[in-house]
Amino acid sequence: MKRLFTSLAPALVLAASTLLALPATAQPAPTPMASSSALFDSFGGKAGLVKLMDGFMVGLLADPRTGPHFKPANQQRIKEQLVDQFCMVMGGPCVYKGADMKSSHEAMDITKGDFNALVEVLQRSMDAQGIPFGAQNQLLAKLAPMHRDVITVK
Amino acid sequence: MKTLTTALLIGAAGLACTAAQADTGKLLLTGGVSSIDGAAGGGLTPWAVIGSNATAGEIGGSAFVTRTTTQDFGLTAYGAAVGIHDRVEVSLARQDFDASPAIALNGVAPFGVLPGQHIMMDIVGVKVKLAGDAVLDSDSLMPQIAVGLEHKSVTPGSLNSVFNFLGTKTTGTDFYVNATKLFLAQGILVNATLRNTNANQNGLLGFGSAAPGQDSRSWVPEVSVAYLLSKNWAIGAEYRAKPNNLEDLGQAAGLGKGLAEDAWKDIFVAWAPNKNVSVTLAYVDLGRIVPGVTAARNQSGYYLSAQLAF
Repeated sequence: MKRLFTSLAPALVLAASTLLALPATAQPAPTPMASSSALFDSFGGKAGLVKLMDGFMVGLLADPRTGPHFKPANQQRIKEQLVDQFCMVMGGPCVYKGADMKSSHEAMDITKGDFNALVEVLQRSMDAQGIPFGAQNQLLAKLAPMHRDVITVK
Repeated sequence: MKTLTTALLIGAAGLACTAAQADTGKLLLTGGVSSIDGAAGGGLTPWAVIGSNATAGEIGGSAFVTRTTTQDFGLTAYGAAVGIHDRVEVSLARQDFDASPAIALNGVAPFGVLPGQHIMMDIVGVKVKLAGDAVLDSDSLMPQIAVGLEHKSVTPGSLNSVFNFLGTKTTGTDFYVNATKLFLAQGILVNATLRNTNANQNGLLGFGSAAPGQDSRSWVPEVSVAYLLSKNWAIGAEYRAKPNNLEDLGQAAGLGKGLAEDAWKDIFVAWAPNKNVSVTLAYVDLGRIVPGVTAARNQSGYYLSAQLAF
């Protein structure tokens, strides 16, 4: 056991120092103290989200993995709901009034691969809008846990 | 396999790349790169991620080649892995270790070590994900947890006489448990691995030791940290503790610290131009490797690895 601890100590020090050092030297804009509405602002506010969803839906329809799920849907309504939902999770001045994630997806066959495909399309759409990588990840971190309700084919 | 498939991501080369319609749908960095022992992870240590781009319900594969050289030694490793349903990973790897400095051992005793001797090692690995999702469970601290084993078989060639003198075995099995967590909002990936092993220098110098060296197994920790700079680039560092089984035997044989062994460390940058390709460049510090024949030098140098995954 002593052997374990003596060898563990430098490892932990290294990990800790790396964690401390990296954000200071490498992490760009969003600081850990940034408020959620700063995230909303970095997406260009509501107007930016409307633009993002326009591109997102085009990408979703064009991608063979996600297209079949969205072609039969009311795309305009989905875009509007996504604007409200994203705005709300980012702390913006919106209220999402749509269905919860579970009931809105349970009738569909959605695999984890489908879910990940949607995330990829979203990433491409955010890239196209010039949204910074750090802000993208902050949003994805808020959306990713929805996988529990969205993925219906486990 | 219409277009490019899969992903791989590197020590976290981050939220994956540009695009690509895929037959396998794992997200972002979730396949890791290939460690030198073949398992998906960082460069020197396995992570709890399952290799390849295959996610639930899919089967994928990956292949890699890695070259690292230090002041006195060189290692080439290559192999392949299959990822099944993002649950089970089976990997094969071969390591070719240029042990040329070992010729100096003939000055210690008539070992008959041949010039330019290489030590070969084959590794069969199996890893099973037990719980968690390293990427998607971003609202909790719960990491992805896996257990694995690496069965290693080493062929020492003319160094067999040295292995006999050291009392090291030519086969051994490492067992490990690891936990990997991507702090998605911060773009930081952390992995911790605890390995149970009796390997000397990862097995390249056999397993266990004659008395008074340590023949028993040890638990040793390994830690990786990676920071995502962008979708395609990640940087990070690794630390891998190792047993030091042979030093006491060397001491007793009058070699001083000539058989001492140290931890492995590296700092790396990984690049994933797309979901199928990754390249990792690292600076490695492998500590002392048989310092008795290498003027007690620390072995440091570069590490270059390429991986294809689908």
